[in-house]
Amino acid sequence: MTRKLANIILLFVAVSLCYGLQVSKPRYGDLIGPIPSRGRLGDTVVGRSFEVRVEKVKFAHNLKVDRFGEAKILTTGGVWAVVTVEFAARAQSMTVAVASWRGPTGLTYDQTERLSFTDGLLPVAVDPGLPKKARLIFEMRPAEASNANLLISEKLMSALDSQAEISLGPVATGSDGLPAGTVEMLDMTQPI
Amino acid sequence: MTARVLDRESGRSEQKWGRRSLWSLLLLVPLALAIEAYDSVKALLSDDDLFPRRVAWGETARFGGSDWKLTDLRGAFGMSNLPPDSVPVLADFQVKIGNPDLQNLWLGCRIMLIDKDGRRWSPTSIVSLKTTDNVQTCISAIFSGAKSGDTLNLRETFLVPKEATKTIQPAVGVASERPHFLLFQLEKD
Amino acid sequence: MLENAGSRLKAWLMAGIGTAAAIAVAGVMGAFGARHEPVPVLAPASRIETGQWLLRPLKAYVTAEKNVYGAPLKSGGKALVLELEMTNRTAKSTKDYFEVLQPNPAIIDPATKPFIVLTRDSTLSPELHPGMPERMAYIWQLSDGAAPPASLDLTIIHKTYKQRDNLYGLPGWFNPTPIGVLMLPVGSGPDTADIQP
Repeated sequence: MTRKLANIILLFVAVSLCYGLQVSKPRYGDLIGPIPSRGRLGDTVVGRSFEVRVEKVKFAHNLKVDRFGEAKILTTGGVWAVVTVEFAARAQSMTVAVASWRGPTGLTYDQTERLSFTDGLLPVAVDPGLPKKARLIFEMRPAEASNANLLISEKLMSALDSQAEISLGPVATGSDGLPAGTVEMLDMTQPI
Repeated sequence: MTARVLDRESGRSEQKWGRRSLWSLLLLVPLALAIEAYDSVKALLSDDDLFPRRVAWGETARFGGSDWKLTDLRGAFGMSNLPPDSVPVLADFQVKIGNPDLQNLWLGCRIMLIDKDGRRWSPTSIVSLKTTDNVQTCISAIFSGAKSGDTLNLRETFLVPKEATKTIQPAVGVASERPHFLLFQLEKD
Repeated sequence: MLENAGSRLKAWLMAGIGTAAAIAVAGVMGAFGARHEPVPVLAPASRIETGQWLLRPLKAYVTAEKNVYGAPLKSGGKALVLELEMTNRTAKSTKDYFEVLQPNPAIIDPATKPFIVLTRDSTLSPELHPGMPERMAYIWQLSDGAAPPASLDLTIIHKTYKQRDNLYGLPGWFNPTPIGVLMLPVGSGPDTADIQP
């Protein structure tokens, strides 16, 4: 009798152990995903091939850009966020190509494709010893502005490579639902 | 009677072979791992410029089927619109084509500058200096259709911080020679 | 001996019946799966949900203008333009909208790929961002001499989210299936009024 009971208990233990192993097994996507290096606004975040520091974040209704020598105003259905960053290459010349803005609810906004790289957008080539400033420009729902994370990586498929994950902290919301301090127009034709 | 003796005999030889098999695992497992990893290690090595082959100033070196010679390395001072404390550096090579199959031999051609700390600079696109028509870059040379015996003039432009200019050395890597690459010594060395 | 053969026969029979039953069940289920249900006709004034996108058709028209939202059209030809509001329902910026709308091959040759333009500033096929409705224009170049159609028939394609795909174990949108047919009247120019809900 006790022997039978012991067998049944052993079976249950084995089943739950196997189930535990199954559910806790890391997925292939997690195993080969990017490796985060975390930091905050103003910190220098060090990745495998580059360092990045976020200097400031500004919000605007409209952007003024230069398209083929003509001034153009870019409007948005949400709000523009312009992040000024400084990149530094570590051991060798490299190119930073990908940035996205992950809002507090997890919605991920890739860098806008409505501007061209002449406006200071990525991709940016960086040489060792010569830090370089760049602008990262996103458009997003105003609700995604506060407590966001900035994700920056060298390549789109940054499998097993480092990805800077920079927490931008809280942003006060104005009475119109937009981030406080949202300006009417930011001039992207000005040097960074 | 005889059957029992045979049984015992075969049991003993079985034991012996069992032990031999176990010991052979010591050799076979690492061997299997090595064979499995061979291709990956080869791919890893052939992707990077790891081992320098030093070339003295003024010497030519056979590399990627052709003869390479560093002819000049100089800074282009006094340019405006550049980041502070940076200097454009020009590296000039003279290459006498041996094997004209450049599209295979020079694939992944990478010319770079390496300083004493091992930092590596790739050619820049920020500075574009006027060049004469017969000067090419490494990549454009691949598609130039150069024949055996031709001499090509290659020039690459780099942007380097001032503090590094004292110790930089030009280097050349191509896929067909990796993990080895050419590291050119300068006059003063 | 005989008894042995009998039990063996019994075992064979059982196995045979089991296999036959399994094949029959699989066949019936397959037949149900393969049954083609007619896709419903969608109202032009409706909001259409395709998994990744929320679509609101606005207007369709034929134009002979050369510069339709900056699309690089051949001069002298006509273009069929569909304007609609698209909202990205996913959690990520995406431009996976090239196969959402499939025009009736009788109207537009399936080999003709449309230019897809953000009407706000004529950006050609930009990524659209989560939860931000944008007015987009699909612009098909009509073949020379083709009579402009009176109605634009579109099949709307739906994709399904998978947390992990079978190959890489990564999330994504898969299995495109038609969910409905949309028929829009084709106006005669860019001044055509928007469809009101």
